[in-house]
Formats: sequence, structure tokens, C-alpha cells
Amino acid sequence: MLKILLKKQMTEIFRGYFYDAKKNKSRSKAGTVAYMVLFLGIMVGLLGGMFTYLSLAICGALTAAGMDWLYFALMGLLAVLLGVFGSVFNTYSCLYLSKDNDLLLSMPIPVNVIMASRLLTVYLMGLMYSLVVILPAVIVYWVTASVSAGVILGGLLIILLISVFVLTLSCALGWVVAKISLKLKNKSFITVVVSLAFIGGYYFVYFKAQSMIQDLLANAAVYGEKIKGAAYPLYLFGRVGSGDAYAVLTVSAVVIALFALMWMLISRSFLKIATSSGHTAKKEYKETAVKQKGIAAALLTKEFGRFTASPNYMLNCGLGILLLPICGVLILWQGSAVISVLNEVFGGRAGCIPVLLCAAVCMLASMNDMAAPSVSLEGKSLWLLQSLPVTPWQVLRAKLGMQLILTEIPVLFCTVCIAFIYPFTPIELLLTVLVPMSYVLFSALFGLFLGLKMPNLNWTSEITPIKQSAPVTIALFSGFGYTALLCLGFMLLNGWKLGFAGYMSLFGALTLALCGLLWFWLRNKGCSRFASL
Amino acid sequence: MLKIENLTKTYGEKKAVDNLNLHIKPGEIYGFIGHNGAGKTTTLKSVVGILQFDEGEILIDGKSVRTAPLECKRDIAYIPDNPDLYDFMTGIKYLNFIADIFKVSASDRQERIRKYADLFELTEDLAQSIAAYSHGMKQKLAIIAAWLHQPKFIIMDEPFVGLDPKASHLLKGMMREVCDGGGAIFFSTHVLEVAEKLCDKVAIIKGGRLVRSGTMEEVKGDDSLEEVFLELEGESC
Repeated sequence: MLKILLKKQMTEIFRGYFYDAKKNKSRSKAGTVAYMVLFLGIMVGLLGGMFTYLSLAICGALTAAGMDWLYFALMGLLAVLLGVFGSVFNTYSCLYLSKDNDLLLSMPIPVNVIMASRLLTVYLMGLMYSLVVILPAVIVYWVTASVSAGVILGGLLIILLISVFVLTLSCALGWVVAKISLKLKNKSFITVVVSLAFIGGYYFVYFKAQSMIQDLLANAAVYGEKIKGAAYPLYLFGRVGSGDAYAVLTVSAVVIALFALMWMLISRSFLKIATSSGHTAKKEYKETAVKQKGIAAALLTKEFGRFTASPNYMLNCGLGILLLPICGVLILWQGSAVISVLNEVFGGRAGCIPVLLCAAVCMLASMNDMAAPSVSLEGKSLWLLQSLPVTPWQVLRAKLGMQLILTEIPVLFCTVCIAFIYPFTPIELLLTVLVPMSYVLFSALFGLFLGLKMPNLNWTSEITPIKQSAPVTIALFSGFGYTALLCLGFMLLNGWKLGFAGYMSLFGALTLALCGLLWFWLRNKGCSRFASL
Repeated sequence: MLKIENLTKTYGEKKAVDNLNLHIKPGEIYGFIGHNGAGKTTTLKSVVGILQFDEGEILIDGKSVRTAPLECKRDIAYIPDNPDLYDFMTGIKYLNFIADIFKVSASDRQERIRKYADLFELTEDLAQSIAAYSHGMKQKLAIIAAWLHQPKFIIMDEPFVGLDPKASHLLKGMMREVCDGGGAIFFSTHVLEVAEKLCDKVAIIKGGRLVRSGTMEEVKGDDSLEEVFLELEGESC
């Protein structure tokens, strides 16, 4: 039974790689391989590369000082943090809110089996994120330090134990979210606030960890002894990586015990939470005066309604709404210090700092990609938009409109804040406003283009189109790519020779040209594609 | 009101609807029956403009669904077999959304929402999220939404599924009211007794082809509709 459900779950997770929803048939082998290579390229190339670099930076110094355990403890902690960060937001939906809950519960399937199959999705998500940290860390250790059978076994075990620990933590947090959300009225916003607090805490720890790592490298022996005394479990955890038998047995026992506890906790409440419709009081209907809206406004309001009703949608596709104003305020607060540091580093090359500031705004704006999953999110209610007297372009324009409104305003705010701190010339200021604005337009058009090219209307959990879909992943990473290109083009590819105004004008013009192409595609092929979905 | 001429729709190799011709006049309640997979939903979705068909023509009040889809859609309302509405909206927000799309004035919509929500005993639930609605409540909401802009022509796919007896009775009355006012109704059903009592005309589809159509008397003669339907089904066995 479990095998059948796991197969179903795996099919759902990896469906996009093997099945072309648009053509309603399986992908070719080449298509499947290309999709997988693209995904692996992003995960291994970008994230994996970053953590390989970090591992290389600290492994040699720590192993030379005999602090192998500290190396594994640090990288292991990072892996756990990233793994939990990557999977915690969809744990609640995956475990309790899947649309096929009723169907499966009505079948002669033990509840524990359903639960186990749901946990597989959470496990794979956590594994994926933790693996990009711990796998390079283990390999770098094998290359740098001496390799023995015990070390190899320890390395493999630490990977496994971290993945199970991440699953345990994610599930425990998902359970807390479920318990709280059953009793809340404004679930969406409260979930978002709690999640953002978690993200804030995560980044606080993350950035602290970075400075701590540098400090640790300088005083490895002193801190090593302190950690060994004050946080012995962390010491043991680190020893697993170097193959210490006692540590392997102890940490394995603790991780297994914690997992068993989590399993008991979830299995006791799974049925109740999964079948609960909440205990909030019924809202009383009071007739109020309504104002007639135009079609465009009605469709836009509908898109906003969809966005604000889903914590997953807001958290995964709308972080820029919050990060851009925060960045703006931080710039106002600490901007002078940042600018003086930038001046010291890049002051010699004219135009470098405005380019970097522009790129930073674009980077933050790229965290908003709500247009990318918006087509797939129509799901089974797509018939409504197709049967109502609205054109496909009106529908697509509303989807674009939401992303543009939710991104352009924060971008403008952030840019104005930067303008208060950095002494732009008028032309620099104009381009600093225009280039990020044109990027926002591009990212919305590109996200919608991807959403129409790779729609998935048959999801059972909204997490699938929001977080596990190719359009969202590609949209997010293309934003990072755009930002990198903006910086690298100026600094490394001789863009600086054109001067700031020339380079940014060219970059902005190219972006707008791409926007034009995407706009043309959406108005023609995009509309036909939407009509025939 | 509706003229379907030589409608053909294929899915890959399979012809879901094969050269179908049908004519519905104002004032008619037209029933559409057939076994599962016979092509009923495909036909209805083609009429509504959700599915693009391969051959033929569909005219609503003389306007082509293919070339003037918006004009056609403004005159019609559609209720699908499974009312997958916007779960993230409340009932009242959904009704207002539909009213906005059909440009129903604020006063008209309030009056109609009040009237139909009271009739279907849904008023108290209008502030609830649609996600919390039962299947029957969603069906009632879809019916109210369909009636909001006073369409000339209503297309329904299995409209009685999930409705309680009182709501079914109300719906039948509302269908007759639309037709008495010069409108028309085209609906599919598996409940042959309902079709027999309610419809002015009926069409039987099998394997994508129309096998019989006309007034109830023409189709069933002295037999019951069930007997005729089963006899036609039996012919293929």
C-alpha cells in the first residue's frame, strides 16, 4: 500500500519532468533529461557551488587545527537551517491540505500510510536543500583530509541524519502551524507574519553565523573547547562526519528518537487536523452597499484576492513586497556607511556604485514572481474565466497588473530612499529609476510567459504550482541571472567603457526590447494558448 | 436561440462529437441525454466557448461562438457539472465578481442576490468562504451567479446533482420562468424522469453522434424516455 502511495506522490512531485500538460502527453526522453539537467544545474551549479566555495574556505584551516568536528558541526548546522527553511513553508500544506485527503481517507488505507507518503514530499524537499550544503562539505572534507572507511561511512551517515533531522524539525513546525491556524480567523496574514518572523530569525542567525565563522577560524582552538563544554551535542554531531563510532551511535539514536517522537505527535493528530474545517465562528452576512466595478478592476481584485488568501503564494512569490521597503529604510538608516564602504572598494571606477545599487534593487524585485504560477493556480476553476465574457488578454493583463503594482511601488520607494543617500546626477537618478522599473516589467512578462508555456492545472496541493514548478524556479533564477549580468557586464565585460549613462541606457533598452517581444507573444500566442488550456 | 451545425470535436484520434446538428428555439427547455463519455459535456463546453471545436458552427442568437465569442458569452450563463468556484472568495464576493464581469448595476445585483439567495436559503452563508461550502451550496451559488445577469440562454451540465429536493424544485421553476420570458435552456442530465417531465424537447447523443432529437412526444412516442434511451443504448450492444 505504502509503495503505491509513494509512487503516486513521486509521480506528482516529478510530474512536470515527464509530462507535458500543455500537449497532454508524456515528454520525450530528451525533454525530460533537459528539464532535469536544468534543475540540477540550478541546484548544483548555483547553490552547491556557493557552499563548495564556503567548504573549501574553512575545511583546510579547521582540519589542520584538528577541529574536523567543528567543520562538520558548522556545515551541518547550515544544512539543517537551509533544509528547514526550504521545506517548512510547505509542510503544513503537504501534510494536511492536500486535495486528495478525502479520497485517500475514504479508501482502505491505514492513516499512517497516507501520512508516510505525505512525509516523503517534505523529506525530499528538505533533503534537496540540505544536500546542497552538506554534500559539498563532505566531498571537500574527503578531498582535503585523509579518507578511510570510517570517514566515508561518517560522511554518508551525517548526510542521512541531517535529512531525517530536517524532516523532524519541519514536521514539528508544520504541526505547530496547523494547530495555530485551526483557531485563527485571519489565517493567511497571521501565517505570513509568523513565517516572516521565522525568516527574519533565520537571516539573523545566518548573518551572525557568517561573522561567527570568520571569528571561529581565527580562534578555532578557544571556541572549539568552549563549544565542546557548553554544547556537547553539537560536538558529537560534528564528530559523526569524521566517523567517530561513539558519536555515530549516540547521534543516530537521538535523531531516531526525535523522529519517533515527531511521528507519534503527528500520527495522533493527523486525522483530526486533515479533516478539520476549523473552529472559527461563522461570519454573519450583512448586506452592504456595493459599487459596480469595471471588468479590468474586477479581474485585478480577483487576482489580489487569490494572492492574499494564500500564505504560500505570498511567502514564496511576494517576499520582495516586504524586502524592498525594508531595504529602503535600512539604506536611509545605515546607507551612508554602506556607500562609504562601496566608495572605498569601487570608488576608482566611475558609475560602479549606481550600477550596484540598481542591481540590488533588481535583485530584491526578483523575489516577486506572482505572475509565474498565476495561470496554473487557476486550476480546476479555469472554466470560469473561459466561459465568462472576458478576453484572454484581459485575464492575462490582470495577472501582470498584480505583479507590476506589488513590485513597482516598493521598487520606487526603495529607489527614492537610495536617492536620499547617494548623490546621483539627474541622468543617473533617471536611469536608476527606469532600469529597475523596466526589469520589473520584464520579470512580470517573463513569469507569465513561463506560466503559459508550462501550465499545470491538475495539482492537488497549491504548493505544486507555487513552489515546485518550473515557471517559478526559472523566473526566480532568471532574476538572479539578470542582476548578475547587470553587474558583471559593467565591471568585467567592459560595460564601464560606455560610462554609467551609456551602459544603463543600453541595458534598459535591451530589457525593454525583450519586454516588447514578450508582450507581443503574450498578446498573440499567449492569448490563444490561454484560451485553449 | 442556439444553432449547432455539423459540430465535430476530436481529442487526438477520438471523435468526441461527430457532425452534430441541433436547433434550440426561444422558449424551449432542451434536455441532452446520453451515457457517460457520449459527448454531452464536450458539446456544452463548445457551445459556451470553453472548448475550441474542429469543424462546424455554433450560433447563439445568430452570433458565431467562434468569431464573436464575447457577444455570445454576454447572453449566456453556464453551470458546469462540477462547480469548481473560487475557493478563496466568500460567496458574496464571488457573486459581486460575476456581476461586475456582466456589468450588472449595483442596485440590480443587490435585488437579485437578495431574491435568489433567500430562495435557495443561502443568504446566511454568503459571508463564508466558498472553501467551506458543501457541494450543494456551491451548486446553489453557481445557479444564483448564473441568473444574476438575466441571461437569455442558460447551459447547464447535470444541474440537479448535489441539490436538495427543495432546491431542485426551485431550479425547475426558475428554468421554466426563463423560457416563459423568451429565453431558452439547454441542459444535460442522467435523470430521465426529470428530463421527461421538464423538457419541451430532448436530444439523445451516443458515441458523439445525435441519434434522436425532437419534441418529447416525437422522441419517446408512447414509451417512457427511459425505455427509449435503453433501447437506443441496447442497439449498440
